[in-house]
Amino acid sequence: MKKETYLYSSTLERFKNEYKIFLLAFLFIIAADSIGQIKIPVGPGTLILFPIFYALILGVVSGPEVLKIFKKKEVKAASKLVIVAICPFIAKLGINAGASLETVISAGPALLLQEIGNLGTIFLALPAALLLGLKREAIGATHSINRESNLALITDMYGPDAPETQGSLSIYVVGGMVGTIYFGFMTTIIASLNLFHPYALGMASGVGAGILMASATASLAVIYPDLSAQLSALASTSETLSGLTGIYVAIFVGIPLTRKLYEFLEPKIARLRHEPSEVLTRKERISEASASDSSKNSGPNS
Amino acid sequence: MRYLEWILLLVLSGLGIGLANFVGFQVGFMDSLPGILVLLAISVAAVVCTKLIPLRLPIVAYCSIIGLLAASPISPVREFVIESANKINFTAPLTLVGAYAGISISDQIRSFLKQGWKMIIVGILVMTGTFLGSALISQIVLGLTGAI
Repeated sequence: MKKETYLYSSTLERFKNEYKIFLLAFLFIIAADSIGQIKIPVGPGTLILFPIFYALILGVVSGPEVLKIFKKKEVKAASKLVIVAICPFIAKLGINAGASLETVISAGPALLLQEIGNLGTIFLALPAALLLGLKREAIGATHSINRESNLALITDMYGPDAPETQGSLSIYVVGGMVGTIYFGFMTTIIASLNLFHPYALGMASGVGAGILMASATASLAVIYPDLSAQLSALASTSETLSGLTGIYVAIFVGIPLTRKLYEFLEPKIARLRHEPSEVLTRKERISEASASDSSKNSGPNS
Repeated sequence: MRYLEWILLLVLSGLGIGLANFVGFQVGFMDSLPGILVLLAISVAAVVCTKLIPLRLPIVAYCSIIGLLAASPISPVREFVIESANKINFTAPLTLVGAYAGISISDQIRSFLKQGWKMIIVGILVMTGTFLGSALISQIVLGLTGAI
């Protein structure tokens, strides 16, 4: 096995470097959980605000771009801490799944197949992105929910300066800033439509991003209090499956499918927007290049 | 990270859970303690798995699977695990996650504002499409298999 390299020379050094984060995070917990849950009816849905949102906002404003309590170094350290702190939460969801094992097993086929549904982003978001005038950045932006592993994958495939990577990065940033609140709110709106069984909503919550799943599941638990154990069980199983399969689905299905759909739709939507098509321009350039190549080759004794 | 670092950070997470459970839900720390210990024990077991098993699985996958096994009918400690975890309110472990996550993106505000409204719309459609696609397939398959 590969030898692990350590960021700090000892555990004590980590504590010394990060104690300010711990201290402030605990203050945020006291503030956020004192406020507690707030429900605001908005249209057909309910905006349910949870302490996690207040803590998130407090964290964002305490950083280097607003209050400057934390520096770059601590910002970097915090992203590792997110993974640690989410472990006990996921363990709790796992326990819920074990306790409601019958529900999980009876939903087995649906749980497996709904992973394909995560590709729904492509069919909804890609055409919209093209209508808004995005070009190749739309491929990176809409191929998946664009969390850390997807961003890493796109960067690896296209290179850090490619438009595809810029698109992926943009959605990563947008998802980080507004995703937690939006995802919970969206869940309540979709639930209010009464189109889907609560179980289907529970499974849909697991999209391969722990914090989004948490937000959606917490909202579902408020809407369907009697089903909350089963719903969180389904959400966590779906989330685990997404975590296991997500990157492979992106490589073998998500990205190729997004590219195909892009090549198909982009020229049509570009015509609609009265602008040159990126796909056709690129193809023309390639055929011109090969035409001039062949004319050189066939040219008389050049 | 070393085992010791994991344990330090997990114990701090446990304290954060106890604090949130007390401030938000008036559950005393001693009442939360068994549940916290169960969640931390599962997390530590997951850390050991990531270190020993040469598969590149995310740690949360192990947390979820070990939690499921610990609470499943085959587990000898099933009752205790379920009962003590039930004392921890669903959202109590999340406040600390939010605090860390907020700090970890606090250098992206300018970048976020630079994205402009188009990327925000696309981002919202990406999240909505991912959710709706899954909900649609779930609904159909649950109906076909007679689960609902």
